[in-house]
Amino acid sequence: MNQRVRVTSPQTRLAQRRGADAMGRLSHLSGRPPVPSSAIDLDAAERALHRQRRLAVRTAAALLATLAALLTAAALTPGHLGWAVLFFAPYPLLLILAARHVRLAERIEDSHHEGGP
Amino acid sequence: MLGLAAIGAVICASVLIGVWGVRAARSTPDFLVASRSIVPGWNALAIAGEYVSAASVLGLAGLLVKNGVGAMWYAVGFTAGYVLVAALVAGPMRRSGAYTVPDFAEYRLGSPRLRRMCGLVVLVIMLLYLLPQFKAAGVVLELVSGIPYWIGVVGAGLVVSSTIAVGGMRSATYVQAFHYLVKLAFIAGPAVALFFLAGPERRDAALNPIAADPSWTRPLLDLDGSGHPMLATVSVLVATTLGAMGLPHVVMRFHTVAGARAARRVAVSVIVLLSLFYLFPVVYGLLGRVVTPNPAETDVVPVLVPSAIAPGTIGAVLTALVAAGAFAAFLSTSSGLLLALAGGLSHDLFGGSLSRLRLGVVVGTGLAVALALPAADVDINVLVGWAFAVAASTFCPLLTLGIWWRGLTSTGATVGLLIGAGSSTGAALASAVLDLEPGILSILLAQPALWTVPLAFASMAIASRPGAVPDWAGEAVLRLHVPGRHSTGDTDALPRARRGNRLDSDGGTD
Repeated sequence: MNQRVRVTSPQTRLAQRRGADAMGRLSHLSGRPPVPSSAIDLDAAERALHRQRRLAVRTAAALLATLAALLTAAALTPGHLGWAVLFFAPYPLLLILAARHVRLAERIEDSHHEGGP
Repeated sequence: MLGLAAIGAVICASVLIGVWGVRAARSTPDFLVASRSIVPGWNALAIAGEYVSAASVLGLAGLLVKNGVGAMWYAVGFTAGYVLVAALVAGPMRRSGAYTVPDFAEYRLGSPRLRRMCGLVVLVIMLLYLLPQFKAAGVVLELVSGIPYWIGVVGAGLVVSSTIAVGGMRSATYVQAFHYLVKLAFIAGPAVALFFLAGPERRDAALNPIAADPSWTRPLLDLDGSGHPMLATVSVLVATTLGAMGLPHVVMRFHTVAGARAARRVAVSVIVLLSLFYLFPVVYGLLGRVVTPNPAETDVVPVLVPSAIAPGTIGAVLTALVAAGAFAAFLSTSSGLLLALAGGLSHDLFGGSLSRLRLGVVVGTGLAVALALPAADVDINVLVGWAFAVAASTFCPLLTLGIWWRGLTSTGATVGLLIGAGSSTGAALASAVLDLEPGILSILLAQPALWTVPLAFASMAIASRPGAVPDWAGEAVLRLHVPGRHSTGDTDALPRARRGNRLDSDGGTD
């Protein structure tokens, strides 16, 4: 509870992790990247990656479909009200897409904590 | 003169907030934890503040008057990019603990050569993005005060570099959040006022644009009458949407959020803030079409509209407000870009200290000012479009494949970055130098993202030989997707009692 922690700036932590010397020069920049040594549950991580990736692909596809639909709508709108399509339609749709993705991604993370899908 | 005074007030307020921000950060005993517990709202404001640049405040309305309502696709693309940021980049990027894109490249692929290459690409993108900001500052100052363009550009360079010297990196969040509010108030307020001041006749003409040429009212972007509006629109949309994902100064911002969850939510908040803002440049564009149909300089349309609609004092006051809003856009975007550029110069390319960082700011400002002087005639959105196209053809594939595909190797990333950066900058240069007939070829050179992005993705994937994947690569990718304290986000060491502040904590405190 009362464990002491050293607080450093992001730059300092990065430099420490990277092994910069006192002059701030990068001293060992080769081979293995600075992955921390704490262990993770690789099987659970594998499941998380797969589920998050499927969700990400779906969101990207939904965005593509939305933009395609908007383009079609814009191209087909007759006369002089084309600007209204681009003024009112896109932003609520984009917001819904992003908010939905975040909710689903957090749900995946929650089920990860509970130890499995 | 009123305009110059308003701009001066914005500059003074920015410096004051910068100084206060540094004090606030220093007087807080636990700087990191404190800043991380307040960040999400501020951070979204700061991202939006940095992102809404001269291209949005000035360029969009100017392009709308010049090319037609299809220019609104730029704003759609700028916003749509954040759907992809939320879905593909924000969370994993935060967990990687990387501060910049070159840092991420090092974390994921472990190659110092690649790190330096990414640093170079950062420089190219940042310079392409900075140039139009300085152009905007120059034309706005010229319009409101009669100062010659070149003095305005040089003066703007001095102001920005000294603001950074006074405020510094720590206060950037507060200053940029303040600038978003300034921009929103000073662009939205006059827009609403002008809409009512315009009177029923001009209002009707603006809302029902019956233009002499129908291509103006068609909501697709046609580049110089090339005859392929759909192709041009799609290419602009690809560049802006995917480019937003790869902008180095935006990616940097997610490092300062509490955790991966908060990072994703910040991206969603940014969409809200952008959606709100992007409604108003359209008002200037539509009104500008009626009251200033043939401006000598398209990029100053929003500053011209107030005095054209309301001559006299009201017009002068509104002009001053809009000019101050435009200058705030210049100030926040260019200081964010300069910090990223200087960081790239000192940190990623030369591995330097704080004095090098300061030198980087000076060198970056000098380069941008020198490039902006001959660029007075190039439209802001054209240049910003190129910055987005280069980002979309380089960092977008690097981050997407690096985060979601274990097979990416450092050779693959190097080849992909070279091809993506080479093809997109080459195409942009060719379209600037060659005087091509408007047609499919001229579109594909002026808006290259449509072919350079797939090319970069493909070359990264093909050049990554399966045999060359190092054994630690799998774990480096998996860690980006594991929630909680076992991932690489480096707030792990926070004591349990404090975790209540973190959205990414084990229990999920929201």
